[in-house]
Amino acid sequence: MFQNRMEGLALALPAAVFAAIVFLVPVGILLSEGFRAEGSWTLASYAGFFESELNRTVFWRTLKLGAIVTAVSAVIGYATAYSIVTLPPTARGRLIGLVVMPLMISPVARTYAWIVILGRTGFVNETIVWLGLSDTPIRFLFTETAVFIGLLQLFLPLMILSLISALENMPRDAVPAARVLGANWLQVFVKVILPLTKEGLVIGGTLVFTGSLTAYITPAILGGSKVLMLETLLYQRVTVANDFASASIIAMILMVMSFSANLLLKRLATARNKR
Amino acid sequence: MFKKFLASGVALAALSGAAHAADKTLVISVYGFAQDEFKEIVYDPFEAQCGCELVVETGNSVERLAKLEARKDDPEIDMAVMSTHDALSAARKGITQSIDVTRLSNYDKLYDIAKDPVGDHMGVGYTFYATSIAYRADEVEIESWADLFQDKLKGRVAFPNVSTNQGPPALYMVGKAIGDDAADLKAAIGEVAKNKDDIVTFYERSSQVAQLMQQEEILAAPIGRFAWGAYSKMGFDMAWATPKEGQTGGMNVMILTKGAKNEDLAYEFMDFWLSTEIQTKLAEALVDSPANADVEVSDEIAENLTYGAETVESLKLLEPAVILDNREAWLSEWNAQIGQ
Amino acid sequence: MTSRLLSYVTLTLVLIFLLGPFVIIVAAALSGGETLAFPPQGLSFKWVMKVFEVESFRASFALSMFLAIFGTLAALVLGVPVAYAASRYRLPFGETIRTIVSAPIIVPGIIVGLALLRYLVIPLDVGVGVALFIAHTALILPYAVRVVSASLDNLRSDIEEAAVILGSTRVATFFRIVLPNIQSGILAAFILGFVTSFNQVPVSLFLSGPGVRTLPIDMIWYMEITYDPSVAALAALLAFLSISIVFLAERFLGFSRYV
Repeated sequence: MFQNRMEGLALALPAAVFAAIVFLVPVGILLSEGFRAEGSWTLASYAGFFESELNRTVFWRTLKLGAIVTAVSAVIGYATAYSIVTLPPTARGRLIGLVVMPLMISPVARTYAWIVILGRTGFVNETIVWLGLSDTPIRFLFTETAVFIGLLQLFLPLMILSLISALENMPRDAVPAARVLGANWLQVFVKVILPLTKEGLVIGGTLVFTGSLTAYITPAILGGSKVLMLETLLYQRVTVANDFASASIIAMILMVMSFSANLLLKRLATARNKR
Repeated sequence: MFKKFLASGVALAALSGAAHAADKTLVISVYGFAQDEFKEIVYDPFEAQCGCELVVETGNSVERLAKLEARKDDPEIDMAVMSTHDALSAARKGITQSIDVTRLSNYDKLYDIAKDPVGDHMGVGYTFYATSIAYRADEVEIESWADLFQDKLKGRVAFPNVSTNQGPPALYMVGKAIGDDAADLKAAIGEVAKNKDDIVTFYERSSQVAQLMQQEEILAAPIGRFAWGAYSKMGFDMAWATPKEGQTGGMNVMILTKGAKNEDLAYEFMDFWLSTEIQTKLAEALVDSPANADVEVSDEIAENLTYGAETVESLKLLEPAVILDNREAWLSEWNAQIGQ
Repeated sequence: MTSRLLSYVTLTLVLIFLLGPFVIIVAAALSGGETLAFPPQGLSFKWVMKVFEVESFRASFALSMFLAIFGTLAALVLGVPVAYAASRYRLPFGETIRTIVSAPIIVPGIIVGLALLRYLVIPLDVGVGVALFIAHTALILPYAVRVVSASLDNLRSDIEEAAVILGSTRVATFFRIVLPNIQSGILAAFILGFVTSFNQVPVSLFLSGPGVRTLPIDMIWYMEITYDPSVAALAALLAFLSISIVFLAERFLGFSRYV
């Protein structure tokens, strides 16, 4: 550890100044714009924003889809992560590699695949009709279901990876011990696994939730103008109407939503800890 | 290995820089459809003629207009094409300048309605198109705009979003079909809203519809005739409806931005595009119907286009000023009834 | 035994869900038919070849490559000193500085793009290309700092201290002792930054101008106007590009230790 504090500051300053000037300042101005009307500070534009039924619908849809994607990915994530952690080391490494792989593929390509898969003549519908589950193909494209599937596929790996590292840090014999003492799997999960891995769940949950809020491609391609989310609404307000005021309001809402999700999840984690 | 990688990156960057370093550059903003054909028929020959570089930005009318407005004080675009009502809107916002038609040698050849459709020569018409319903003749029959909402098309039809060029005219015709064609379009929007769950999507770009049709996601959609070329090549039994209420449509115009940095080139390009030779080629490729009255095409081609003054006069068009003055109201009506 | 079976079933289903779409894309890309139908008709490379004929992709590929390489390098030049300062010095305002440099990861990309367009590109007449470069650099900075910090934390600092005591300058110590030892961490940061930048969409959404468009944005545009399997071919090619970079990195560096 070197003691010269000024030397350290000199090393760190260029990056901080760069990030502040080209990043924080423009973003800050943009976000503050939503609070300004005719030269004074006000919350009026926010009230006005939520007066529109369309905006309210989009807001709730974004929140709802984000929450569902997070919850479902947590359930699948635990099952997958536990299965991976209990494997022998080599197989574990390979599987982690396979889970990481989709993260490296362009989200445009990953989302586009669902158009091919979920279309009327796509793989899913061909299978459904072939199995006789339905006489006619089911409409998936441009529905909330399609957006949900797209988002889940996009962000599930983040949840799995967070839970894997949490499970790896868990004492190795905690689960067998609980089993020997007669706990069933549900009890083991609620009483042993969940408390010991909740930090991983918080990290994964925050990543998945904020990811779902701010994904643009998936709702744009799989939802279109019928399933608008906040991010696509923002884009539409700017490109169709040059409506920067609404854009900055939506931007602020998105930021607040992801920060509060982070806080809420952290709170949940510590609350259980105290008990 | 790493060094080589870096070097190739530098080379690539230098290359892309060099491409923009041509002495004369004209920046145009156009619709996104049929760009392959435009490149072959218009852009490449023009570049050869002027010895300049053409930079093309694409997008739908309203998006590009928004961008032009955002860059109003320092325009990066010299010349753009858009709908008559967007051109009128641009003129009112002071984004465009009056076109000196004496500098266009082909101006006198244009059909009269194309000569000054926006007023004050703020735009010159280069093509017009009919808007009607393209549909799969082997699956459905369409004789009226109201047939878009027939049982067979439930979950198999797309409709233009109100923010697009095709949206308001299509709504206007739906209004005619249900017996209420007031300019507020309230009744028509209500009719679409009633059926919104059966409409696959409200499309925002014409090109998107072709994709949905090709994937058999939809069987019918109101489209502009300019996009028809792609449908006739799909290998399906596609038909163009002649509904009993008539067809609607629109006109596209060229505009010159105020403060354009390459005004002379822009004039040269507009004149080139309006010439009989280029307009004929575009017509023959089924890209754009000619606005130049000297263009003559075979009957077969004419049948696939919106050809001749009589055809155009038969279209039930909305006036640009009507569209512009009502647009905000339509949008909020649409958002209230359909958006959520 | 039943639980073992259950975990195999889970893994299989999840992997099908995560990787299946990619397989389908590749199958569609190699289709001999004219449309994106499933199952694909015949086998052919014609759609893959068609992608290489699209002229605008060359310019947008070059731009995306440029941004990914030089944006990441710039982020490293800015980020490595921060990471070094944070791990080796008692840094005044350390927490504030850390928050500032990691802010770009928290703010949604679409907001970043819009903010730069509104307050940098338009009023100050900064070129769209420059704005893209700045945005991508800022975006990669948090990754660079995080990954390099992790690798610095694993490096014992007593060797450096010994070198300094023995009269080596700080700068020489850094370049002779620290840098060679964190080389693989820096490369890992480079690859992570490269992939992040190369696949980045929301930031670039508003930052495009006539003739200046990143590859993913160009691809979205192409997807909208094209409906034959060449779109799938493009998606598959891009996926292969990212995967092979990561695969090589993993092979030679054990990249996943740093992610």
